[in-house]
Formats: sequence, C-alpha cells, structure tokens
Amino acid sequence: MSERDNRTVLVCCGPGCLSNHSLDVYEELKARISKTDIKVDVKTTIKATGCQGLCEKGPMLRIEPDDIFYTCVKVSDVPEIVEKTLLNRQVVERLLYHEPSRNKKVLSPKETRFYGKQMKLALRNVGEIDPFSIEDYIFRGGYKALEKVLSEFSPDEVISEIEKSGLRGRGGAGFPTGRKWRQCARMKDSPRYVICNGDEGDPGAFMDRCIMEGDPHSVIEGMAIGAYAVGSHEGFMYIRDEYFLAIRNMLHAIEQARERGFLGKNILGSDFDFDVQIVRGGGAFVCGESTALMASIEGKVGEPRAKYIRSVEKGLWGKPTVLNNVETWANIPVIINRGAEWFGSIGTEKSKGTKVFSLVGKVKNTGLIEVPMGMTLRDIIFDIGGGIAEGRKFKAVQTGGPSGGCIPESLIDIPVDFDSLDRVGSMMGSGGMIVMDDRTCMVDVARYYLKFLSEESCGKCVPCREGIRRMLEILNDICEGRGRPDDLETLAELGETVKEASLCGLGKSAPNPVLTTLRYFKGEYLAHVNDKTCPAGVCKNLTVYYIDEALCKGCGLCRKSCPSGAIEGQPRQPFAIDESKCIKCGSCMDACRFGAVKTRGRA
Amino acid sequence: MEIIIDGKKCEAQYGEYVLNVARRNGIQIPALCHYDALPGQATCRLCIVEVEEGGRKKVVTSCVFPVTGEMQVFTNSEKIQRMRKNIIRLLSARAPNNEFIKKLRQEYGLLPETRFSGDDKENCILCGLCVRACDETGISAISTVNRGIEKKVSTPFDEASEACIGCGACAFVCPTGAIKMLDENGIRHLWNKDFELVRCEKCGEYFATREHIEYMKKKYGEDKCCSFCEKCRKRIAGEKMAASYRK
Amino acid sequence: MELQDFSHVRAILEHYPPERRFLLAILQDIQKHYNYIPRASLEMVRDYLDVPLSKLYSMATFYKALSLKPKGKHVIKVCDGTACHIKSSQVIIDEIKKVLNIVPGTTTGDGKFSLETVNCLGSCAVSPVMVIDDRFYGRVAPSMVRDILAEYGRLENERA
Repeated sequence: MSERDNRTVLVCCGPGCLSNHSLDVYEELKARISKTDIKVDVKTTIKATGCQGLCEKGPMLRIEPDDIFYTCVKVSDVPEIVEKTLLNRQVVERLLYHEPSRNKKVLSPKETRFYGKQMKLALRNVGEIDPFSIEDYIFRGGYKALEKVLSEFSPDEVISEIEKSGLRGRGGAGFPTGRKWRQCARMKDSPRYVICNGDEGDPGAFMDRCIMEGDPHSVIEGMAIGAYAVGSHEGFMYIRDEYFLAIRNMLHAIEQARERGFLGKNILGSDFDFDVQIVRGGGAFVCGESTALMASIEGKVGEPRAKYIRSVEKGLWGKPTVLNNVETWANIPVIINRGAEWFGSIGTEKSKGTKVFSLVGKVKNTGLIEVPMGMTLRDIIFDIGGGIAEGRKFKAVQTGGPSGGCIPESLIDIPVDFDSLDRVGSMMGSGGMIVMDDRTCMVDVARYYLKFLSEESCGKCVPCREGIRRMLEILNDICEGRGRPDDLETLAELGETVKEASLCGLGKSAPNPVLTTLRYFKGEYLAHVNDKTCPAGVCKNLTVYYIDEALCKGCGLCRKSCPSGAIEGQPRQPFAIDESKCIKCGSCMDACRFGAVKTRGRA
Repeated sequence: MEIIIDGKKCEAQYGEYVLNVARRNGIQIPALCHYDALPGQATCRLCIVEVEEGGRKKVVTSCVFPVTGEMQVFTNSEKIQRMRKNIIRLLSARAPNNEFIKKLRQEYGLLPETRFSGDDKENCILCGLCVRACDETGISAISTVNRGIEKKVSTPFDEASEACIGCGACAFVCPTGAIKMLDENGIRHLWNKDFELVRCEKCGEYFATREHIEYMKKKYGEDKCCSFCEKCRKRIAGEKMAASYRK
Repeated sequence: MELQDFSHVRAILEHYPPERRFLLAILQDIQKHYNYIPRASLEMVRDYLDVPLSKLYSMATFYKALSLKPKGKHVIKVCDGTACHIKSSQVIIDEIKKVLNIVPGTTTGDGKFSLETVNCLGSCAVSPVMVIDDRFYGRVAPSMVRDILAEYGRLENERA
C-alpha cells in the first residue's frame, strides 16, 4: 500500500470539547486502534489537538488526509468509526455535520459556512497539531521566522517590519505593536523585559486560552522575536491559574524549545540569549491591566499605577518593558514569514490582519473563530455563527467584555475593526463576542457586568470603586422594581465621571456596558423604571410566568422540567403555574414546544 | 519652562507635578490623598484637571501628572467642576457624616445625599496615605485588605498587630480623621492595640510609645534624644547651638 | 487551633529562592496543597521572604485564587461568565443555594460542599456550566441540580 494510507485522526481537546468529555473519546480511539487488527501498512496517528473551533458540536474529530470531520462524537461511536471509516473507508453518515445553509450533510470542514468564511493566522496551528509535539510545530514552518530574524534582520529591521505590517495589540485598546517596540528599544536603561499577557479574564472569552493550549510554540516564537527586536533577554508569561492545561502545555513547550536551542543561550548559534518563565495569575481581572499585571509578577497586589510614565520606559521592576497579549505574540511569526506587506493587505485601512473571537451566547454555532478585520457583525453572527439559536430573534451583540458595550441590531452591518467598534461605544477588547436574543434583558446584562466589576475593581481609586458601587446599586434597584425616574440621568452622569476620572483602564471602560445599553435600549430601562416590567422576562421581581390556555396542549413537558413543582395540570388539559412556587427559571418556557409559556410584567 | 494654569503663566521644572506648580502659584486644587512628603497616591481623584498638550485636551490627575513640555492647564473648567462634584458626591455617599467631606460638599454647593445611603460611622475614603506612611517608616503594620467595593485598611486578621509600634504616623497623615487614636492615662489605643506612653525626660509630657522609642533606638542607635519629646528636642538643639556660638 | 502538619509549607518554600517575586507562586502552592492558606503558614512565609505579615494578608485577601478559610471536601464552581449568565446560570446558583442552604463563597456546616461562582471557564459552548471538583457538567438545567449533587453523597437538608 502507498503512503497515502497514513492517516491521522485529530481529536479536538479544546475547552468546549473537553467539557463534553472528548478525552474519553480520544482514549477509547487509542485503545481500539491498538487492539484492532488494522493492516500493518496502515498507520494511524491519533492526536489530541487544541480547539478546532466548532465547540457547539463537540466533541469533534477530523481524519486527515481524507478531510472528513465528525461532530458530537460519543465514546459509543468509536467502534463504528474505527470499523467503518478507518478500516473500510466508509463514512459514518450520522456523525457528519449538517450544513444549515445548504440543508445537507457535509464531509469536509471547508464545505461549511462556519469554516469557509474564516481566515486563520493566529490560530494557524490550533486544532491542527499536537500541542505537545514541537516536531508538529516545526513541520508546519514553526521557528522559521525566528531563524530568519536572527540570520537576516537587525533588531531595527524587525521593528520596522512590524510597524509596516500595521499590527495593533490584540489585548483590547489596539495600540500599534511596532510603535510600542520602537519606544522600548529607544530606552537606554536595561535590563529590558518582554511580557505575554495570558490572564484572559473577560467572561465569555477563551481565545488566548485556546492559543496557549493548542499552539504554545507560536507564542514562544513571537516573544523571542520581540525580545530580539527590543534587546531583552528575559520574558514572562502571565497565565491565568485556572488555565492549568495552558500552563502545562506551555511549560512543556518551553522545555522543548530550550532543548532545541530556540530558547536559552546563543539561540540558533547567534549571540542572542533569551529565556521565558511562567507566572501563574492569582485570579484578578484587574491584572489584565498592564501595570497591575507587572505588580503581580513582582509579588505584590495587582493594583495599577498612573500610566503617565509608560511601561515601555518604566515597567517591570522599573525597567523598560514590552507587554503584548497572547494573540499579538502569535501573529508575529506569521508577519515575519509572509511579510509585512502581505499582512497589511488583510483587513481594513487602520485595522490590519485578522482577529480571533470566541463567539458565544444565543448563537447556533458557538465556538472559536478567526476572521479578517472588517467583516461585518452580520456575517460573523449569521453566516459563521449560523444565526440565533432556537429560531429566536437577534437583539444585541456584546463585544469587549466588561469594558465593551452592547451593539443593537440597527448597527449589525458595521465592520468589525478597532475604530468602528469604538465609534459605537463598544470596543474590540480581547475578542469575546456574546450574542443576545430577545430573552436577554439588557438592563440585567449591564447589571451583570457592573457586579463583575464591583468585585474585580482593585478598589484603589474613588471613581471606580465608589462609582461602580453606586451605579450597581441603581441597577439593582431598577431590576428589582425600585427604580426611580431620575435614575437614568444619575447613571449617565456617574458613568461619565467614572470613565474620565478613574485611574486605570478598568475604571475608564467600566461604564461602557451601562452607557451603551442606555443609549441603544433606553426603552427597556424605561419599562423597568416606569412600568415595572421586564420585557425579556428575566428580572424576577418584574416577571410573572403564565401558561396561555389557548396554546397549551396539555403535554406536561413543562411540569417535568419544573424544578420547584410549580406546575399542575391534567393530561390534554391546559396546565397552570402556581406563582407562589415559581422560581422563574424559564425551564418550562424552554421545554414547551407550542410557545404556550409566556411572561408578563407584575404590574 | 513655563506652563499656563487657568490663564496664568507659571514657572515649572521638568518632571514636576502639575498640582505642586499650581499650589506654588496660589492656584488651589482640592486633594485629599496628597501629602507633600508622600506623593503619588492618586487615589482620591479630586485633583483632576484638564490639560491641553499639542492641541489635545485630556483629563489628568494633577498630583501625579508631570510637566514635560508646553501645556495649558484648566483646573476649574465646567467639565472638571461637574466631575469633581460627582467625586465629592461619591465620597459623601460613602462617609456621610465625615466633617472634612461635609465641608467639601458645602464648598461645592452640593445638597445632602438622598439617593445613596452610607455608613454613618464610616470616615475612611481609602486614600492609602496611612498605609504608605506605615510602609515608609519601615513598619508595615497595616495594609489594604480585600479588593473592589469590599476594600478596607486594617491590620492582619483585624487583630492587634505584632508589628505596630503605635507611632501614630497613620493617624497623623489621614486627611479625614478616620483613624482613631486615643491617648488616655498614659495609654495609647490604636488599631486594637494598647501602648504604654513614655514621658519626656525634660518636660514630663507623654510623647511617644515605648515600642516607638525602642524602634527608634534600634534604627538610629542609642541616642539620648529618644528620651525627649519633639519640642524639647528642638529646644535642646537650639540651646546647644546658642552655646556653641557663645563660645 | 489549627492542628495540621505544616512541614509541607517548608518544602514549598525551599522550592523557591527567597525573593518577593515568588510570593504569589508560594501562596498558590500552599493554597493548592492545603485547600486554603493556614494562618501559621503565612508566618512561615513572612520569615522566609522577609515580607511584612500585613502585605501577605493583603495578598491573600486580594487574589481570588487564595482563601484564608478552609474549603469543603467538594468544591462546586458554577460558571457565571457572560455566556452562562445569559443562559440563566443565576437560576442554577439559586437552586444550589436552596438545596445546600449555602450562599456562594461559603461551605456547608458538615464541610462537605463549598459553593463558588467563577467568571468563565471557557466552556461557553455548553453553557450553563458547573464543575464539581474536576468534573464538568454542561447545559445544566435547574431540575438536574439535586441529582448531580446527590452523586456526591447524601445532602444535608434532605429528608431521610
């Protein structure tokens, strides 16, 4: 038999699939294949890869080079996959992905809208390689950029290349990466440090996690190139402690890189020395702020300082420091390999390249995606994301996490780039994209973010600590039916002060979720304040669940789903909800197939 | 170099903080967390001003904003006034009965707070000066605890601290009188701890805690001066100097 | 009184050079081993790194990964990340509160369960999510809560 029979099964072990027990699938496959009497000339490799993206349909696996992908794979499906697909080259129809746009099952990821519209640069290897194998990384062109830089580029030329590419920081604010490096390289002081911010604290975001877990070497290579450019010999990766897989894979990758001479003394025979160490984050969102992160690396509480003297001048231990986030670093080797001009040809005028998003919430295809800058929100949500789940109505999309804002349907055709998102009051942020439908209460969303920030603010400065606290008080009142007519004005006014007068980026952006929802969903606020109703049926004090007798078929599904025994009724007769027992969880509404469960305001 | 603050030309040194330049030139900017010997808290944010540099206007905290070139500073623009009032409102919501904040509120013409309720006994605005002072003395008996809206200043586990020497520097620098230090019958009560007060060998007044004196001796060596209060120490130094001239 | 063997704290300390920059890592290791940061261990860290106790206390109360109170035998983490939140994670939290009679951040009287909320586990695709010890539960419905908890033994407030 020929070489073509060497097949590889790539089992996705990204966070989504892992929580759907994909590791069990992987183990079962491994056991089966070693036991099965597969013909000796067929060599099957199984790899546990990083996130393949389509988390909604996990666990998923791909078989290369046949380009077959299976979704929602259970351990019990494994024998059939081995028997049919691996041994007899038959497709297991049932496990194929159903492409909604064409209403048919497809074999290859390329045939789907979800993958077809994406462009993977930062994620180029994630889901394709075994993150534990440096050979896999090198096989796909890894460490070529570092080699090129060390043999052909002066540090200044590296910086020029990055400047020319137009790369802007992927951590949130979008500061030009090349300019940051240039400023640091100009400093006379030494030592200098490079830092990778892997503290990804935005709820609803897991891009950086997937890169660190799925392709750790790309980050190491990017950092080494950056260190060479700015004249640093020591790097730190600050990784969220909860990301134990990311830490494990990264530690392993660093070890391998040292063994191969990509880290350490005289890298690749040059006179450039560089090494990286990992610092585990302590679980504080504010440590995503660069000066707080540096304080944390120094072994102090993560309180930011005023940034009138920038960290490129006085950063870690008062020394010149370049800090970029995971995705930014992962982009560096691509730019070096393929050239600044090529990179600059992707994206919009002022936002170059691609951006990774975690597309989550009430969208059909939740998952990890990467698209060229400038793609519209509509394309992302409706084409790649497949539209709103359960056929409900799109209401808003939240970008930028707790620092971002909620964008309404009327603006869904804006291109996704740094400046367009800023203009509508949100921001790019690190890449969380949370889709909301008509069952999401925008006041509750604003309250959610403020509650998060009230716990995560470091508490150092007055506007942030006290401002958030009071704004949260107002929102709690509004959601619980105690809102006052002048509350909206107070919210807007406090919001301005918190935004302008806070010490660090956390406070300066904290009011965004409130200010954008006030701007685009004022009617919903007014309904809460004036009419004491929550149109989305989320705020418990303002919502009564009831069953529309005209629509109820008496099937009893609602009663089965009710955790508090609040629903009574006889089969084939309309059921009813006992309001005194109802905990307003919405289970009945989700369970009902006839739309008979409804909500109304308390008033 | 010269900068313009509220239309007035002011001489300034490179790197000097705007607040200091303003105050030197008789322009008052309110600030609670600023203390000349311990600069750089930047937590109360009352000293915000608008700065125009290179045609761009931005809000900055004058107590830590350094002069680096030509600039125009507006300490009392409409925007600054509005935001400063909001900050005072927030402070007053936190510590409604504090005299210092009440005064500020009146100065800025704010009505008593009705929308938000605060703790009547609260006086601390968490400016951090006390912690800073304690760190600077080398004691570090107190620290900020928790984070976010739960933040406070305390000794470890809210207990009498082994490290505290009762020097009172924390209470001395506190801008809102929030740290309760009570001297009675030769005993100082501070941070849940009682300290024995020592009398000045010259005037006989209580002047420092025994722990404080021990600490000074250890730090600066066995010096007779540790036995006198500050007033007497100055007087002694003066007398010595006078005596040396007489000779 | 803390009746515990602190010899492991010594081992953790000796793993790191006595420099301030390793403080967070040391505290995390202690937290991992003992499931909290015993008071006596803070004093050992103070002596090893020569960092004032107040700063250690400050660290231990600032970082969410650190806790000064012992945690229960099983730690329940309910994700309240944005994706989970808009898929009603609050209702799951309420249900656990009801079943176990504890609020987030506390431990049941018998020391069996601790309840925590976390801000995104990165498993948004199967939201709402909860994790007990290291086991994941995705797409949790309020009606599943009691059965899931029962996997970990009899519930305190359950009638016999």
